[in-house]
Amino acid sequence: MGDIQDQVNEAITQALVATAPDRVGLDRDMPLSTAAGLDSVQIMNLVMEIEDTLDISVPVDVLADTHTLNELAQELTKMVQSKAGGTSV
Amino acid sequence: MSLFDKFELLAQSRRALASDGPPPVATPFDRVLSATRGVINGQEVLLAGTNNYLGLTFHPEVIEKAKAALDELGSGTTGSRMANGSYASHDALEKELAGAFGWPSAMVFSTGYQANVGVMSSVVGQGETLLIDADSHASIYDGCRMSKAQTLTFRHNDPENLDRKLERLGEDAKKTLVVVEGLYSMLGDQPPLQEFVDVKNKHGAWLLVDEAHSFGVFGDKGLGLTEAMGLLDEVDFVVGTFSKSLAGIGGFCVSPHAELELLRLASRPYIFTASPSPAIIAGTRQALSLVLSGQHLRQQLKRNMDRLYEGARAAGFELGSEQPGPVAALILPNRETALDHWHQLLDQGVYANLMIPPATPNGLCLLRLSLSAAHTDADIDHILSALQGIRQQHTNQVAEA
Repeated sequence: MGDIQDQVNEAITQALVATAPDRVGLDRDMPLSTAAGLDSVQIMNLVMEIEDTLDISVPVDVLADTHTLNELAQELTKMVQSKAGGTSV
Repeated sequence: MSLFDKFELLAQSRRALASDGPPPVATPFDRVLSATRGVINGQEVLLAGTNNYLGLTFHPEVIEKAKAALDELGSGTTGSRMANGSYASHDALEKELAGAFGWPSAMVFSTGYQANVGVMSSVVGQGETLLIDADSHASIYDGCRMSKAQTLTFRHNDPENLDRKLERLGEDAKKTLVVVEGLYSMLGDQPPLQEFVDVKNKHGAWLLVDEAHSFGVFGDKGLGLTEAMGLLDEVDFVVGTFSKSLAGIGGFCVSPHAELELLRLASRPYIFTASPSPAIIAGTRQALSLVLSGQHLRQQLKRNMDRLYEGARAAGFELGSEQPGPVAALILPNRETALDHWHQLLDQGVYANLMIPPATPNGLCLLRLSLSAAHTDADIDHILSALQGIRQQHTNQVAEA
């Protein structure tokens, strides 16, 4: 469980480095579109990077329902767990 | 606290574009004089920012048919296709569209936007998947939102990424509709359609091609990129619009699957809206006939595209597409430069489109020129000379600074 969370957080960091390097250190509890200053295109590019790293496909509505990077991390963790055949949360 | 507080960011963006001259977004036209001329703020301008690819909006036969239908059938149908809004002419247009593709079924929608929303929201449902290009038009995204299917995206024009996404879906790939466009209107680029077809066939997925900007433009009969690439036997749905090459307003879906007809009972954007007015249908039917036999129009458009692409590159502009097409997107370094270019071009009598984030992919700032078969060689010369002047002036300014 902890391992998967670390893996997800690391994937988010790598994706930020690749798509929005000036935002790498942002507060992951900030609302993405306003306080964190990422526009919808940047968020989408970010998620596509994460998909490649974690080898998962993130449905568009998951994005619509997550408002911070930490919320996104929770969703991604669930997806990686279910892919690995782990117990669902 | 106001319900409008959430629009403050949009209000800020609008203020940032404010200037003394005409606004670059939602630019008001005093009048439109022809397929290639209009009047903005009292000044006659060359229109290089419309979707009038074959220049048919003022074609005398289109106007004549539309006027006759107005006289004979009235101004509107006042009802849905499901109720009282199915006239013989709606049916005839559908048969003509289906016939052009050699397929059994076609459906007409009231707008192109509704065609995408209406098809995607109903063809793909619960437990199935929509797999769309990340740079898809808003109508494709909205169709996905309205569908009960899960929506996934693949990287723009990237068959390898599509392959990976389909691979992850396993058996569910067979219940997946892949969606691509024949021409992406922001950058003017085209998809590697053959590669996409190979990938979807490998996984047994379905394919929809939105030919909104490519219908009329590519292919011997003008059916779009799918026809031009010889891939009509490989796709499941083609969606298009009447509001570009067909010079009216409305949309359509054509399919080799006769079951498309069942959507008439299931597609909410088809059912719960009034059908297109008789004049629109009559004008579109005439325009369709001109498109199908419009090889000479496509030749002129191609000549215009090739000349504009070559000239813009020679002037030092970077373009959004390698391959020439009816849309030439000049990539500019930032919002201010793009805005400045837009105003300067208008000062020189050319109307183009300013395209800025969040409407554009990858945060690009674009000046978008779109071409028409109705543009003459002299029109293209005018556009190129204006672009060269602006480029020269801008280079000098940068050098001085």
